[in-house]
Amino acid sequence: MISLFTEPLDAFCGGFFLLTAIGIVSTRQMLACLRLFMIQALLLVAAALLIGVKLSSGDLVAVAVITFVTKVVAIPWVLKLSLGSEIYAQREIDQVLNIPLALLISAALVLFSYFVATPMVTAVGQPFTNINLPIGLAGLVLGAFTVTVRREAMAQLIGLLVMENGVFFASISIVPHLPVIAEISAAIDVPVMSLIIGLLIRRIHKRTGSTVVSELATLRED
Amino acid sequence: MLAAVLILPLLAALLVLLPIGHRGRWPALVTVLTNAILLALALAIVAHVSHAGALHEWNQSLSIDAFGALLLLLVTFLGFTTAIFSWGYIVERRIGATRTGKVRLYYTLYHLFILSMVAVPVISHVALVWIAVEMTTLMSAFLVAYEDTPASLEAAWKYVVLTSMGAILGLLGILILYWGTRVAGDVPFTWAGLVTGAPHMPKTLLWTGFLLILVGFGTKVGLVPLHTWLPDAHSQAPSPVCALLSGVETSTALFVILRLFPVLQAAPLVADPRPWFIAIGLVSVGAAAFLLLHIRDYKRMFAFSTVEHMGIIMVAVGLGGMPAHLAAMYQLTAHALTKSFCFFAAGTTLVATGTQEVGAVHGLIHRAPLAGTALFLGGLAIAGAPPFVVFISEFSIFRAGLADGQYLSIALLALFVAVAFCALTFHINRIVFGRAEDVPAHAIPRPCLAALVIAAIPMLILGLYLPGPLAALFRAAAATLGH
Amino acid sequence: MWQSILFNLIQVAVVVGLAPLVEGVLHRMEENVQSKRGPNIFQVYRDLWKLLQKDEIVSEESSWIFRVAPYVAFVMPIFVTLLIPVLTRYPLFFAFMGDMLAAGFLLALGGFFMALAAVDAANPYGAMGASRTRMVGFLAEPVFMMVFFTVSFTAGSTIPYIVQTSWTAVPGGFFEPVHILVILAFLMLILADESRIPVDNPSGQFELAMIGKSKYLEYSGRGAALIKWAGCMKFMVLTCVLCNVLVTPWGLAAEHTLVAVLLAIPLVLFKTLIFLLVLVVIESSLAKLRLFRISEFLSAAFVICLLAMVTRLMGS
Repeated sequence: MISLFTEPLDAFCGGFFLLTAIGIVSTRQMLACLRLFMIQALLLVAAALLIGVKLSSGDLVAVAVITFVTKVVAIPWVLKLSLGSEIYAQREIDQVLNIPLALLISAALVLFSYFVATPMVTAVGQPFTNINLPIGLAGLVLGAFTVTVRREAMAQLIGLLVMENGVFFASISIVPHLPVIAEISAAIDVPVMSLIIGLLIRRIHKRTGSTVVSELATLRED
Repeated sequence: MLAAVLILPLLAALLVLLPIGHRGRWPALVTVLTNAILLALALAIVAHVSHAGALHEWNQSLSIDAFGALLLLLVTFLGFTTAIFSWGYIVERRIGATRTGKVRLYYTLYHLFILSMVAVPVISHVALVWIAVEMTTLMSAFLVAYEDTPASLEAAWKYVVLTSMGAILGLLGILILYWGTRVAGDVPFTWAGLVTGAPHMPKTLLWTGFLLILVGFGTKVGLVPLHTWLPDAHSQAPSPVCALLSGVETSTALFVILRLFPVLQAAPLVADPRPWFIAIGLVSVGAAAFLLLHIRDYKRMFAFSTVEHMGIIMVAVGLGGMPAHLAAMYQLTAHALTKSFCFFAAGTTLVATGTQEVGAVHGLIHRAPLAGTALFLGGLAIAGAPPFVVFISEFSIFRAGLADGQYLSIALLALFVAVAFCALTFHINRIVFGRAEDVPAHAIPRPCLAALVIAAIPMLILGLYLPGPLAALFRAAAATLGH
Repeated sequence: MWQSILFNLIQVAVVVGLAPLVEGVLHRMEENVQSKRGPNIFQVYRDLWKLLQKDEIVSEESSWIFRVAPYVAFVMPIFVTLLIPVLTRYPLFFAFMGDMLAAGFLLALGGFFMALAAVDAANPYGAMGASRTRMVGFLAEPVFMMVFFTVSFTAGSTIPYIVQTSWTAVPGGFFEPVHILVILAFLMLILADESRIPVDNPSGQFELAMIGKSKYLEYSGRGAALIKWAGCMKFMVLTCVLCNVLVTPWGLAAEHTLVAVLLAIPLVLFKTLIFLLVLVVIESSLAKLRLFRISEFLSAAFVICLLAMVTRLMGS
């Protein structure tokens, strides 16, 4: 039963994964952004479990557990710890482009990721790659886009985390048997990155009284 | 031996936290000693690798070949000289710190930073190498922001966010290569394994993986147009940190890119990587050379010179052939040695004058003769004037390229290098000579001078004479880059 | 054939007869969610009856458009009902007269006449409401087209009866991203088109903030009743398109017998009830958007639909 529906259910997770990535590009509330990220991480966990059960890969189940612990539990906690409530509960966030334009560009980026991914998928023809690779790639690109258009430090951090989620979403299909040691270290890397960037945000907030990083623009060529 | 290289900095990072000693001398002492031991270990490893070839440990999960050994040697040498310089700059002059606790934090991060950099050539599994490279960013983030000024925080922010973006792109590239090795059969996911597996990999996987890694790690190397964070971070960090960032951290990321050169060459059907390396390198050299013309901050000037040198190495590797690869290794070494000296000189100048602006300092040689001489020598050396080591390495690149008949690339490279030479010497001239202001210079701490002297020795000697064992190491390292 | 026509007429009767009930249930549920008692679920019927009893007052300055518009608006949903599956999963007599695009245009024609009538009466609020409705309409149009294209790519047809079976044709097809995304985009489209909460406040009484309702301010008596009824029917028709065509054909009559068709009525009402629940949750948890942010809402719907198309065309 499960194995018959694994592929469509994985696709289902993928569809929502894309939606959350786009939501993170376009939403205005900071907390909504963070919640969308957590939902996205949950979808990643679900997809890893599905593929792990289907391919009976213990590594992927471990990935699912690690992802759950780091991205759904640890990162929001680390951010709350390192940022303090007044930055954590941000109000509206600003962005460089207006939202309809940002949305259209995101759609174009998704299309681009499909164009990049399709040759690889057809060259190898491994199960699930047709779903996970393009969507993971799109997550990567949309995360990078988030970092570029957002002016707020915290939103840029979430953009980075979305990129990471995208890579993992692709990796559960392309390399389902990556050694656990690599997974674990990558999993440690993510909270460390959040912690360091979170602490940096706090220092910036303390020094300049704001977390709008685009206002930090004293260093440039003239 | 390789395991010791990883464990030692970790131990030292804990040791410096012990509340012993007065005014932070204990962490400084521990750091100098451990880095001296690390350097000795690296020398032993180099000796072993030169005689017996690649070294493997821990069931092949740690391994090092000649190229890795060269990088390890450079990292540990710079780690040692920078440890001495930090003693003067961070502990005695207390630049950017008022509390001893902060000095301890500096040293803890210093060791972790060194650990992440020595891990890059030592670890065999490529996915773990990625983590080491990412850790170099994360561990040095607070070193860049050490002075806690808005400008340094801005620089640290750009540094962390942009290089992390790059690292995540690179991660996907590495995973795609891993996918390729699975498709190609059961080859181990190491640099050597990639070379053997490359002919059997699907073309599109290899190429996409390479492009992602090139863009991702290229950000970290500071290749134009992904260099925007580099001048900021390398000018706002404390000078000893700049020496490490510019001297070897960029090289560790470049190491990963260069490792893919033989992989791509092993799969001749994919695409010839050589024009790509040359084009990307030339763009970096050219852009950096022209950006060097109008610069206001002398640390920023050295940072742009790093971009230029990374480009030169890319070109040298792209030229192909043993002589060019040998020259690339020479250039990598020359850059690390000279650039660290330059940043020590810049740090000394900063200590003496209290400003980083090119226009604000005149007649340094009269105001602070030692700092002035150091900056003058450093500027000349990094610009590529004889008899320093950069001159020899750049010259051998030109010679290798001309012997191979690649006139256009060499002509462009020579033009850009000449522009950079003029720009650098012009700025250095303005700072060092001319009428001095009547402001007395601050005293320069003795460890800073010691570091300057130690760093100057190889920079000068290698320009005149290349010792036999080192030449053998260069040859073996160049051989790992294929043909 | 006669049976087919009969079933078609039953469909029309269901929509005409039960649409006010659906509206009444929605009102009741919304009030209940806000911890109020809420009106009787048959209150809409009483309102309609009351309005039909009353005299109609028509401005001397207005033209024939003002008089005709309510009838046009009332007839269009009935036409659409002939085209779409309300109770059966097999095509009925008029099913091949028009596709989903035709249904969309028929509904748009009613809206067009209402906008003309609103301007015709020369009430300043009417013109304002009409222009705002048009703005939302223009923004919604590309989304509608995208939904239409995506659905036709997936099903290989634009006839609603054929589209509805395509989702269950393959196992797990229900969970395909394209399906979920199209449903989501269409839901957002309904919210915009029906002037519901994130776009407009249907229960607001403040003329300056109105988008949809201000068009009907000039109507009284029979005209007002027809417009109100037409609004209920349009809502029910769109609900049926969403529930029966885009979500699933589950619960519809599969056999060609009168009993099966009549049995489908409560099942369809049940599905509608579930949809109403979703709607109530959306409406009570979101705030109305500022006017110029409606474009963001609809562009999000557009992009979602574009994604559906991309995942469909390139993913498999």
